[in-house]
Amino acid sequence: MPLLKSYMEVVDAGARSLKMIYQSKMAPKYDFLQEENMEFLLSLLNNESENVSGLGASIISHSCKTSLEQKLLFDAGVLKRLTSLLGGSLIQRDASLESIATIFKNNPEVVSQFVGPDTGRTLSCIIELVKDRFARTRLLASLCLIVIRNASPCYLQDVGIKTKLINNLLELLDDPGQVGDESSFAFSSLIAEKEDMQKLAFEVNGVDKLYNHLQKGSLHPRRFEGILLALADMCSKLECCRSRCLSLQVLNLVVDALAHDSSDVRSAACMCLRSVSRSIKNLSAGSFMNETIVIPLVRLLDDTSTAVQVAALGAISNIVVDFTTRRSTFIRLGGVKLLVQLSKSMDSTIRLNALWALRNLIFLAEDKSKEEIFMELTASLLASLICDPEPSVQEQALALVRNLVDGRINSVEYIFAEDGIILDAVGRQLRIASKAEIEIQGMYVLGNVATGKESHKEAVMDQLLLRAENKAQSCIIKFLQSNDSRLRTAAVWAVLNLTCSSSPGSSGRLVKLHDAGIVSHVKNMVNDPCLDVKLRVKTALEQFNSFDDSLV
Amino acid sequence: MPVRVAESSAPSQVSGAHSEESSPPICSLLTVGQAFSGTQNVSNLQKEEAWRVNVRIQGCDLEHGYLCGTMEALNVPMADTPVVTFWEGEIVDAKNYTFYTGKWEATPEDDIRHWTKFPSFAPLLSRVEADGGKSLDLSNYPYIFMRWKEQYFVNVGTDCGLTIAGFYYVCFSCSDGSINGFYYDPNSSPFQKLELKCANEGRSGFSFSSYELQ
Repeated sequence: MPLLKSYMEVVDAGARSLKMIYQSKMAPKYDFLQEENMEFLLSLLNNESENVSGLGASIISHSCKTSLEQKLLFDAGVLKRLTSLLGGSLIQRDASLESIATIFKNNPEVVSQFVGPDTGRTLSCIIELVKDRFARTRLLASLCLIVIRNASPCYLQDVGIKTKLINNLLELLDDPGQVGDESSFAFSSLIAEKEDMQKLAFEVNGVDKLYNHLQKGSLHPRRFEGILLALADMCSKLECCRSRCLSLQVLNLVVDALAHDSSDVRSAACMCLRSVSRSIKNLSAGSFMNETIVIPLVRLLDDTSTAVQVAALGAISNIVVDFTTRRSTFIRLGGVKLLVQLSKSMDSTIRLNALWALRNLIFLAEDKSKEEIFMELTASLLASLICDPEPSVQEQALALVRNLVDGRINSVEYIFAEDGIILDAVGRQLRIASKAEIEIQGMYVLGNVATGKESHKEAVMDQLLLRAENKAQSCIIKFLQSNDSRLRTAAVWAVLNLTCSSSPGSSGRLVKLHDAGIVSHVKNMVNDPCLDVKLRVKTALEQFNSFDDSLV
Repeated sequence: MPVRVAESSAPSQVSGAHSEESSPPICSLLTVGQAFSGTQNVSNLQKEEAWRVNVRIQGCDLEHGYLCGTMEALNVPMADTPVVTFWEGEIVDAKNYTFYTGKWEATPEDDIRHWTKFPSFAPLLSRVEADGGKSLDLSNYPYIFMRWKEQYFVNVGTDCGLTIAGFYYVCFSCSDGSINGFYYDPNSSPFQKLELKCANEGRSGFSFSSYELQ
């Protein structure tokens, strides 16, 4: 049958060419929604030729993008066929692993249907391939398991498999090619946000192993980025990982990476620095607030890439949490000027992160630093940021003002600058806001101002007793009734500070609060389910009592 | 707060830690930025003496039962300046930490001997003796029990002739933010009492600042 043989050769060659075409991102998408297309795909997968079935798998990896497509492929029984390909040639195995990962990726619904007699077989096939002798197969099998686990944490609970995956990916870093470059990204997706996985990775010396690769120098940018991100994920939650990084002096290499040509590497270096600087123990020791770190970071605030700017702001937000007097270093190096500039950016993510950094910088700041920061910020800019269209920006702006008026008593005066435009903005925002986070920060601003002089307390009263249009009652009553105990706490603290028994005007203010219906609401909270609120209310009632029994 | 090295006592033994679901109340007076001031009684047989002490909370991670901050001792006889130390705290939440220290040369007997010095511990004693307190739900208890362990000197060298080898058994009152503690170091005078109150820092009322790490 010479004719048939050559026909098969043509099919094979055609499949090989198409497979190569489908490896390009530019190739058109295959439409799974058409029934005949799905039938054709299944026929490809069922074909005995490794190039033809490999083509079927390549089409899935290339074209399956939506959760509907994932479900259609799953329901069509593609998985069964792909599982059998796992036992095939190298080409079939790798193509099948990629396709399985594509069908499960970020789709808990499909993963949850992945139960039944075939589940165990498929999983054990993949687990077996994690030990394969080919590096690329090991990486693809690991990625497949990670996708399944991330979509549904009930799979792969076994510590042995978890440790195996971690070790495998760390070992794959030794591969000099693309597999080595990609293994750190797979490692990140395995441990990101998962403290138990990070702990396991720490126990197998993950930090040291990543550091060893980083140390080799002149890395391909993709590999450099991946290792920095893997370190960032390892240090995101666990202090032991951060300590290990610091004792290995990993930061020297990370700081160098801040000036790398590739913006992805610069961004990853910032993220690594951000994770390590979550260590309060080291922030307290002032370990990060030095010129070696601050100068290159501040330089990145001017970066041409927005992603780098945002990442740099993230690292700066942590580093400026300073318990010594070193924040002057940051101010001296021009950091505040740039942060204030960025707080006026058209990009709301930049505004948010710039304000976040300023809020942390001003936390427990000494008078001189506060003054310098406020001079740069100005009352009018702060007032406009409190009323920013983006709610998360409003929240950070209010948190910043809360810190600004804390500390020494004269700090309260800042809120009265330029005819009190900041205070007015705070009051206005509290009357119209609908997000608890904004209301909490706003109430703490008023509560902090209410710890000042008589005139300060009276100004807070004015804001609280002003009613929004069409509203029958003061906004604080809404806060006292909130479902969020943090907001109730903040509201009761403001009442407590306004009726402090040591202040001469407190009894007058108590009468006004009573007439506005606020006192009776506080009284009703005596059995609040939140202990903190309950204890504050108890103190408030004792305070009320000391003035006038008739009000309580 | 650092103390001078004095007479010794008690050997050491280690006990295991237990774990159980339960967390302490989130108290607004025990949050970052809050300051406390008071004294530590360092009297011994020879002499009555108390050092003024300031404390500031710098970090708090209730999920991990973690708290940290600085402690400043003001009139330390051997030091020219106030001595500042950084401490880390373990919150007894029956989840991350129990009443049994299990380290720092503290035996279960030392633990009970110190905890029972706090009147607010009395209602918990029998349960703690029965099962280490692992079945206690402390989430609605108006006191928070902690251990504070100084980790390093912030502003002086380790050659200052002072030691931070011991640790504090601490009881925090959620009602008024007052803190009582006992310093424990087998090599120092026993039961040195720490007494702190919320510091209003010249304000009429309570002011709260905050930071958030990214």
